[in-house]
Amino acid sequence: MAKYMLLLYDNRANWTDISPDEMQKAIQKYKAWGDKLKKLGIYVSSHKLADDAGKVLRGRGPARVTDGPYSETKEVLGGYFMIEAPTYDDAVGHSRDCPHLEYGGTIELRQIDPMVGSA
Amino acid sequence: MMHVTEREATQTIDVSDACLMVDHLFRSRAGQMVAYLTRLLGPEHLDLAEEVTQEALLKALQHWPYSGIPQNPAGWLFRVARNAALDAVRHRTLAGEKSTELAVEHFRNADASSANDELEDQLRDDELRMVLMCCHPTLPQDARVALSLKTVGGFSVREIARAFLADEATIAQRLVRAKRQIRESRIRFELPAGEELVARMDSALEVVYLMFNEGYAAQSGEDLVRQDLCGEALRLGRLLATSSVGTPQAHALVALMAFQAARLPARVDAAGELVLLENQDRGEWDARLIALGFDHFTQCAEGTELTSYHVQAAIAATHARAQEGRATDWKLILELYDQLIELSPSPVVELNRAVVVAKVHGPEAALAALRPLEGNRSLRNYYLLPAVQGQLLLEIGDKPGASESFRQALERPCSEPEQRFLQRKLAECSRM
Repeated sequence: MAKYMLLLYDNRANWTDISPDEMQKAIQKYKAWGDKLKKLGIYVSSHKLADDAGKVLRGRGPARVTDGPYSETKEVLGGYFMIEAPTYDDAVGHSRDCPHLEYGGTIELRQIDPMVGSA
Repeated sequence: MMHVTEREATQTIDVSDACLMVDHLFRSRAGQMVAYLTRLLGPEHLDLAEEVTQEALLKALQHWPYSGIPQNPAGWLFRVARNAALDAVRHRTLAGEKSTELAVEHFRNADASSANDELEDQLRDDELRMVLMCCHPTLPQDARVALSLKTVGGFSVREIARAFLADEATIAQRLVRAKRQIRESRIRFELPAGEELVARMDSALEVVYLMFNEGYAAQSGEDLVRQDLCGEALRLGRLLATSSVGTPQAHALVALMAFQAARLPARVDAAGELVLLENQDRGEWDARLIALGFDHFTQCAEGTELTSYHVQAAIAATHARAQEGRATDWKLILELYDQLIELSPSPVVELNRAVVVAKVHGPEAALAALRPLEGNRSLRNYYLLPAVQGQLLLEIGDKPGASESFRQALERPCSEPEQRFLQRKLAECSRM
């Protein structure tokens, strides 16, 4: 089984003018989706990334540290899920019904590269 | 010290929510958070209270999908909102804003005083003050309703607009004006007393009743948020009735709403067709709401004053007591309608009374009772007057008269299930 990383990008504009009731419903959908992954035994981990602690380090020699790319782009990387799946297509299948998509977010799906030479 | 405070606050709230996400948890907790923060910040910072509450809910939305729902969701939300509010007032105080200095002080005192297990009571009290503030008689009535739903009910502007079939911009503007008026008239966030309390309570009950009726008028298939109005009205009514300033009148209103809400599931049949009260399957009435209704109905009898809420509740209770439609005590209901007409006369009440007259004295007497209403201007667009007349004419065998009445009823505004009901009646007239 390979591991896959689901990078969840948010578009903050989608969450303006959302009512408490709608937020609760959204959370319940995410929870149901996460529970499904756990029930299938393919959930590995998930984390929310901090909103404002991001910097970008660049350059050879002494690195230049600048603010993250977040401020300029509409979509920000909000957090990630790691799951296990036999093939990339299976991982796509599990991501397809993530409520993140319904709410206008984007998911970047990447396979964790298995170490070369391992069985 | 502060950690102890928070942990204890957490424990008190935990009881009601456990680790489940109960229906409308965010909505009702949002109302409590806004009320709690408004007490600490002062009513002039109502906007800030709403802002940080929304922020806290958004934080939950951003975190919980990854971390899971915390053991105590409400405690988590309160902590985040409280910290955000404190940050905001510190920031504003640093920037030289005078009105926030006091708020920082309030937050500090709140730390000390909420270290007991009376937090849940305090929150109820905050909510009560909030309702009474939103229902200040100097605010226009539609503003009172909108403001109550927004701040206490946790409804969004869009939801309020949908619920009242109104325009979003209109509602938003109504709220802005109301908040400005609260600031300018320096309406305070405290429990009024004496005459002032009576006036505020009357106004609050009116708002609750209006909210309920608006939701009750919602048709099946319509936006669910309209039906949510009934639930919120019932919740607010109970908050008022069971509070330290609760009155028999408030209990009467809760009883009335509970009895009526209990009948909602039986109002239409499986095919979406209208079912009249006497033909409703009483097994479909919500037994829990009926029990709640009787509980409050008993308590409403404790005062000396007889209000129209009392009489309306008594009518609803009489229906609820009948095991089946045929067993209804129509004579008692007629007496109650006579009382209701004395207390608050209106053509609609007269019309309803006439239906009961038919049950007790027959259709001829009822038709006679309706005759004076025929030219009434306020009933001009009310389909129920000709509809009831049609039914009575049908009962005395006057089919041409009945069909004319049903035709008139169909020309007046009514919902689709109501129209189909009238069409069926009309068809009945042409048979045999």
